[in-house]
Amino acid sequence: MDRLNIIQKAVISIILSAMVFIVVVPLLFFLSTTFASDVEMSMFPKPLLPRMTVTVKVVPHDDGQYEIFYDSGDGYRSIITTKNPVKLENHFRRQYSVTIPGEKLMEDFSRARETGPAEFTYSKSLLYNFRQFFAIVTNSLPALKNSIIASLYTILISLSLGSLAGYVMARYDFRLKNIINVSLLIVRMFPVVGISIPMAILLIRFGLFDTLIGLALLYSVPNIALTAWITSSIFIGISKELEEASMVFGANRFQTFMRITLPLAFPALAASSMYAFLTAWNDTISALILTDRNQTLALVVYKAIGTTTSGIQYAAAGSVILILPALVFTFIIRKYVSQMWGNVEF
Amino acid sequence: MDIHPSHFFIPKGGIHLREPGVSNAKRIMPYLLLLPVFIYYAVFWLAPVVSGIIEVFTDSSGRFTLFDNFDLMLQSDQFRQSVLNTAAFAAISVVLQYFLALMLAVLLNRKFKGAKLLTFVAMIPMAITPTAVAILWKTGLVKEGWINTVLLFFNIVEKPIVFLNAEGFMAVLLIILIDTWTVTPSVMIILLAGLQGMQKDLKEAAYTFGAGKWRIFTDITLPILKPSIITSVLLRLIAAIQVWAIAVMVLGYGKAPFLVERIAFYVDVVPGLGTSEKIAFTLSFTTTVIVLLVTVLYLKASKYKTRVGGNR
Repeated sequence: MDRLNIIQKAVISIILSAMVFIVVVPLLFFLSTTFASDVEMSMFPKPLLPRMTVTVKVVPHDDGQYEIFYDSGDGYRSIITTKNPVKLENHFRRQYSVTIPGEKLMEDFSRARETGPAEFTYSKSLLYNFRQFFAIVTNSLPALKNSIIASLYTILISLSLGSLAGYVMARYDFRLKNIINVSLLIVRMFPVVGISIPMAILLIRFGLFDTLIGLALLYSVPNIALTAWITSSIFIGISKELEEASMVFGANRFQTFMRITLPLAFPALAASSMYAFLTAWNDTISALILTDRNQTLALVVYKAIGTTTSGIQYAAAGSVILILPALVFTFIIRKYVSQMWGNVEF
Repeated sequence: MDIHPSHFFIPKGGIHLREPGVSNAKRIMPYLLLLPVFIYYAVFWLAPVVSGIIEVFTDSSGRFTLFDNFDLMLQSDQFRQSVLNTAAFAAISVVLQYFLALMLAVLLNRKFKGAKLLTFVAMIPMAITPTAVAILWKTGLVKEGWINTVLLFFNIVEKPIVFLNAEGFMAVLLIILIDTWTVTPSVMIILLAGLQGMQKDLKEAAYTFGAGKWRIFTDITLPILKPSIITSVLLRLIAAIQVWAIAVMVLGYGKAPFLVERIAFYVDVVPGLGTSEKIAFTLSFTTTVIVLLVTVLYLKASKYKTRVGGNR
């Protein structure tokens, strides 16, 4: 069955190529932004791939000065004229992300005195934007630590309370079960922004305002409910006979839970922990309301986007730092999550 | 990025037995076990929600009022626009994302060389954090951005377009497109899971009896996918009503006003004022009521019953 004629094959190929194009091209440009120097940011048309080197044209003047020309897409333009090595060094660092001592630059350029105007190519310092991000956003390193801790707290609270609720919902029959089920759905749907403001007042009363525990307590609100939903559907799937067999052989309920049920439910827990992690890791608005000095990395990057109109490439570098742990975490538990996704192969 | 948990709502197998004649101790056992969760939600969810509702129905001096804060909200800047935008966003984005996700899922479900790799590529946007998505599109939408680079390269436009100047419905449309780029993969993966769990013999039987491809799609594939479609549409709808972050990070406050964007505006930009706090509370109350209404209407319309927790 399912023989395709040539036209159908062509249409499918076109659709899938368009999909790949739409996903990959923006990401390549984003990567290019992450490594772009200041002059490259105003370059048009934009390069698809990040450039590793920068080429400038140097014209020596009679009074010992050097005039630097740079081509940002529409021919060489004069950028700076100087004979001060410190100025040169700063200019190359800030504009081209090239970190070479000014004396070395002067030495190179002096060769142009004999040959006339010449082009010089230097390799860019690729991590320049990342270093700049940490240098400009002074609290970014503590923020990274805060993000990790807040995420761990969120996973801990959501998983311990949520899986307990999920287990009870799956294993017991009781009168209020339906109501609790619906309440969990409502809690999950409730806009978190809505409870952030009263939550701030509450946390101040508890002395938990501007703490990571306070943040995690808010992030856990939707995630406990979500974990309960995810795990209860898995716990139902784990046969009760298996648990009963274990108890017949002398294990008590707790041992059975720890040795039989929990390992079998591991995919559900892994998936839930991923959602908990992503909530805490990516949130900006709650962190904005609930923290003052203990900011998280996502918030710091969000603020960097808002304040810097020119240096958005530094914010881009910051957001790459934000993506990496999320990718690593997702990759580690991918196996279990794909089990949850009904074994979608990828 | 909002990852969709709807696929977990597909009921897993397993039989739930009701034990006859349970003792008293056993009857209170589930409540006892749920006690920590109850306490947690009483303190960290119910208390903030109740104090939020109290804020909605009291004026700044603490006296009860039924409509004052709603009047404030109705007269607040860009309120009407934000309601219209949110409705347009939810309707258009959900339909568009579903159409694309379903098409991609059906195509990627075919067994051909490279299907796995393409599925992986299609899922990449899920892993990109919201701030990165915002920067990606912000650097694209400026006049010297990469979108104009691409458009000029393929000769689609002659002069660069200044996308960031978009206003009104065009701004909403931009946010819809960005949201679609980000969210479609997570919808697709749910549908793909549903398709891969489908039995092949059904399709083959229909094919043997002479059904065409379109007929197989509408009469077999879609009905089997229905449960996963219904739950994931619901979650998508709920998330769409609460859109805000991407609009603020790409366009800034007030360019494409949405309901939750307004809440963030009153909390983030003009905090401290008595009225702005009242408006923020009233807005989030209203948003929640809308979300609940939409959910109930949607579930009624699709005749769907929650199936998690063993009730069927």
